[in-house]
Amino acid sequence: MTRNEKKQFRAGIGFTSLWIVGLAAFTAYPILASLYYSFCDYSILKSPVWIGLENYQQLAQDGLFWKSLRNTLFYAGLSVPLGTIVALGLAVLLNSEVRGKSAYRLLFFMPSIVPIVASSMLWLWIFNGQYGLMNGFLNLFLTPFGLHGPAWLADPAWSKPALVIMSLWGTGNAVVIYLAGLQNVPTELYEAAEIDGASAWQRFVHVTLPSIAPVVAFNGIMALISAMQLFAQAYIMSEGANGNGNASDGNPARSTLFYTIYLFSTAFQDLRMGYASAMAYILFLITAALTWAAARFSRGQYEDAV
Amino acid sequence: MRPKTQFSRAVVTALLLLFSAAFAVPFVWLLSTSLKPIEQTLSLPITFLPRAHYADLDGRRMEVTLDFQVTQAGAVVRLLSGDDAGKLGFMGAAQLAQHADSAVVVHPVAAGSWHVTQRLDRATGEGGPSPLWDVLPRDRIDTHIKFRWENYPRALAALGGDAESDRHRVGFWTFLANSLTVAVLGVIGTVISNAIIAYGFARLRWKGRDAFFALTLATMMVPFPVLMVPLYGVFKAFGLIGTLLPLWLPTWFGSAFNIFLMRQFFRTIPEELSEAARIDGCSEWRIFWRIIIPLSTPVLVVAALFHFIFAWNDFLGPLLYLTRKDTYTLAIALQSYESQNGGVQWHYLMAASAVTILPVIILFLFGQKSFIRGIATTGSKG
Amino acid sequence: MHPAAAAEPVHVVYWEKWVGVEGQAAQAVIDTFNRSQDRIIVDYYATSVPDRKTLVATAGGDPPDIAGLHEQNIATFADAEVLQPLDDFIHREGLTNEEWLSRYYPVYAKICTHGGHIYAGISTPAVEALYWNKTLFREAGLDPDRPPRTLAEFNDYARRLTRHDPKTGRLTQVGFLPQDPGWWPWIFCDWFGGRLVEGNRITFATDPHNVAAYAWMQSFTKEYGLENVKALSSEFGPWASPAAPFFTGKIAMVFQGVWYDNYIRQYKPGLDYGVGPWPENVPGVKDFAMAEADVLTIPRGAKHASEAWEFIKYLNSANPNAQSREELQGAELMDFLQLKNSPLRVWSPYFTNHNPHPHIAMMRLLSASPNATCVPQIGIWQEYYREVISSFDRVRLMDATPEEALAYSQARLDASWTRYRKSLERHGQWAALGETAP
Repeated sequence: MTRNEKKQFRAGIGFTSLWIVGLAAFTAYPILASLYYSFCDYSILKSPVWIGLENYQQLAQDGLFWKSLRNTLFYAGLSVPLGTIVALGLAVLLNSEVRGKSAYRLLFFMPSIVPIVASSMLWLWIFNGQYGLMNGFLNLFLTPFGLHGPAWLADPAWSKPALVIMSLWGTGNAVVIYLAGLQNVPTELYEAAEIDGASAWQRFVHVTLPSIAPVVAFNGIMALISAMQLFAQAYIMSEGANGNGNASDGNPARSTLFYTIYLFSTAFQDLRMGYASAMAYILFLITAALTWAAARFSRGQYEDAV
Repeated sequence: MRPKTQFSRAVVTALLLLFSAAFAVPFVWLLSTSLKPIEQTLSLPITFLPRAHYADLDGRRMEVTLDFQVTQAGAVVRLLSGDDAGKLGFMGAAQLAQHADSAVVVHPVAAGSWHVTQRLDRATGEGGPSPLWDVLPRDRIDTHIKFRWENYPRALAALGGDAESDRHRVGFWTFLANSLTVAVLGVIGTVISNAIIAYGFARLRWKGRDAFFALTLATMMVPFPVLMVPLYGVFKAFGLIGTLLPLWLPTWFGSAFNIFLMRQFFRTIPEELSEAARIDGCSEWRIFWRIIIPLSTPVLVVAALFHFIFAWNDFLGPLLYLTRKDTYTLAIALQSYESQNGGVQWHYLMAASAVTILPVIILFLFGQKSFIRGIATTGSKG
Repeated sequence: MHPAAAAEPVHVVYWEKWVGVEGQAAQAVIDTFNRSQDRIIVDYYATSVPDRKTLVATAGGDPPDIAGLHEQNIATFADAEVLQPLDDFIHREGLTNEEWLSRYYPVYAKICTHGGHIYAGISTPAVEALYWNKTLFREAGLDPDRPPRTLAEFNDYARRLTRHDPKTGRLTQVGFLPQDPGWWPWIFCDWFGGRLVEGNRITFATDPHNVAAYAWMQSFTKEYGLENVKALSSEFGPWASPAAPFFTGKIAMVFQGVWYDNYIRQYKPGLDYGVGPWPENVPGVKDFAMAEADVLTIPRGAKHASEAWEFIKYLNSANPNAQSREELQGAELMDFLQLKNSPLRVWSPYFTNHNPHPHIAMMRLLSASPNATCVPQIGIWQEYYREVISSFDRVRLMDATPEEALAYSQARLDASWTRYRKSLERHGQWAALGETAP
């Protein structure tokens, strides 16, 4: 390196030195340690003992691991598309010339900043089979037909849909993002389409959607990654419902046993940190694959950034 | 999309109102539950407004709870024999006929009457171990709407456990202080450290910069469970377990998301400003402080707001790393309304939740514009 | 020269789960202990989920001196080397382990030990009995003072105590429902004569009595109808509230613990109820009972282990001659205030005759019974417990037959147990443990 290059290098390292320390201590070391633990029999107070691929082999045969993966994919597969549709729909509605836009926007956004214990317990309450608001509302329509709202979180068939509905309440974040994206679509494109005689629907499909596709794709993938790591709501709601510290089995019938919940109970109840680390690494691989997909899909954005 | 016709505008407004109602109702329910007495939080039919019932028991007017309706006619009797001699009981008509000799009728009861009990108010000590009860027709019970504002101070007092049993009881103010400590120190750390680091990535050219930045981006996709267990070891090594430090100290060493956010912004500042300063002999540090930072208020505000909200609401961090109750933040202290027995004090939980949500909403109201601009910038550009 | 000044008292940090009435009682006992000497001051910290927090704190190098855990944690935590054995402290008192344990009723002695070592003292014991609603008995034409005495009678009573709404056919009341409270389906396995662990093998599905127990639990859903049960269950409030099904007359009979009288007093005073022994299930096995306990343990790395032991010793002794409330000490004082039974064999006159618990004699009888059992002290108990609950859920939701549910759990548990034993072998712990079956 030339003298100037050396000077620049020192400056660069100087400015990023905090990050170098942070990265090493709080990210790099844990990533490597986790990898090591995933090949060990480790229960946090006893020293780790190398066991090679045993944890991974056991995972492959562990029915609950696969169940938790299925539960998680089911939840993500429902909440992400539905959430995107709802958020996009609301953004489209807001993008039109309506009065009180910022009031609506505020209202839609607020649920996403509510503390998670509060919102989880609130929705646990709303979904109460007998006293809850959801059934109180639904029964208005169902009782004339002799039907009754489901037991939601107490019913294995309805517990995940209940969580999906709850996640829709928190889509305000995405609404704001999509609204900004919609507002960035150049009006000339619309005008040109109108001149060409396109109807409102055709304008939507051929101008709006393609323009915001990268935003939607990117946020969708990020939402998917986040949905794969669902923990707090399921944890709080099952603790709240069961009341004792022996929660974290996704009851009833393990229908809400999500990936990270199983990981948590493996680590902190069964004291199998090595096994939990192996699970964490598999999640890492899945997330990396999805992120790579996101990078390919919204390639334009990344080239902009880098 | 611009609705051109009156009709489409009306449709849009109707839809927005519908969704607004759907989004707002849980909040209204939260507030409503927070103002109810505990027995009405678990009541059918669903009511939004809390009520108070009054009746005459034993000659005195007092507040009562409506327990259940009696389906058959019968009487309130005083039992004459058996284990419960001397006590009051209720017997249906059929039982009365059978056991006429073992009980004395106090007063008859029509079908559809309500069993009411003197209202236990543990906080004021009313009601005691043997509250009065009776079975009365509905018209002898007065009902009006009564908001239990006292739930709020009581909820905050009960946060973290009740005072009589826990000498080392930690109160609302401690939790609030902890939440503020973590949030504010985290915000300061976030803003300062990431600005410095992002400057290094955005405004300087040096060998390996782009590769390092790509690595930084890559770390954004590491799921937290991967870091969870080894971080214990890191924090233990520095003796931080049992303190609040694990929740805010790492923010002083940068975070990939904020580095990315600020770098985006810094790159929009014209390079000429820096060049001119360099020609004048300014060091990079001076350029950073004197030129870049003053121009970066928007992104710094956004990063600060983002982090405050995150830290204020963070649940997983406190769950994992805080062991002592006196270090709990509000986010996790809210769980103390779930007693170890499985009962949840819903009215207190909702009241405390409302109080916890308030600062964030106020902050958001004031910082709305920057906030939304910030989200839009990150989200829409990816 | 000054005489040596009295040393500053040592503060012992004690984490415990209790709040409310139980918490107040604990604080009162601690105050008594603190006043009785000037070397040690015990500081009580109400801590929720004390087991996980103790684990994290011990791993983080900052454990409490006394961790108030549940007996179900002992085996797992001991194997994971979270706890210190108390044997040395006992020996320094001049006692052998057996001599120390002889103070307890047998079932409580068993609870405190694992792998041949003593890991815990008892803070408060518990025992489960049959509770029934006398008003509902009367309405059904049953003698309110005579509970069912055999399994057959129990089933019969349950049937007679079940009511349907004549118009809608919905259940308005059931005699018994195993899911209330639904915390311990394994008790029914024991009640039917089944064993969960035999020698060093898991016998969840292989012991036919366990299958019979699950079939019995399922029979209630079968008889009442799944939808009816679901509809009724959705009306239940939390067990510790005025809306609990036993309190609101939705369930007539329930198996609950010694603490239940406390909760009845709190949430449904005036409830007309009775307490009695478990009906006879296995012929000849009288006075079956399930015993549990909250225990006191000393985590490894505790800074004041010896002082912690002093308090544990205090709480596991009593004044056998106490004639008045002021003379009550240690275990009896704690159990008197919390309305629980005492785990010690010898009860003082005052504790026996002036006990505020209305059914203390029954509780004593059950806890002293040779047929009292407790959960097996096995390191994989948390997983076992999850399987027991999960099988119970599947069976009561008619999702699987008892055979299927138990077989599935058995397979998982066999694999877990094999893995767990291998892990213990790797760490050189199996040799010592393997001798002592849970």
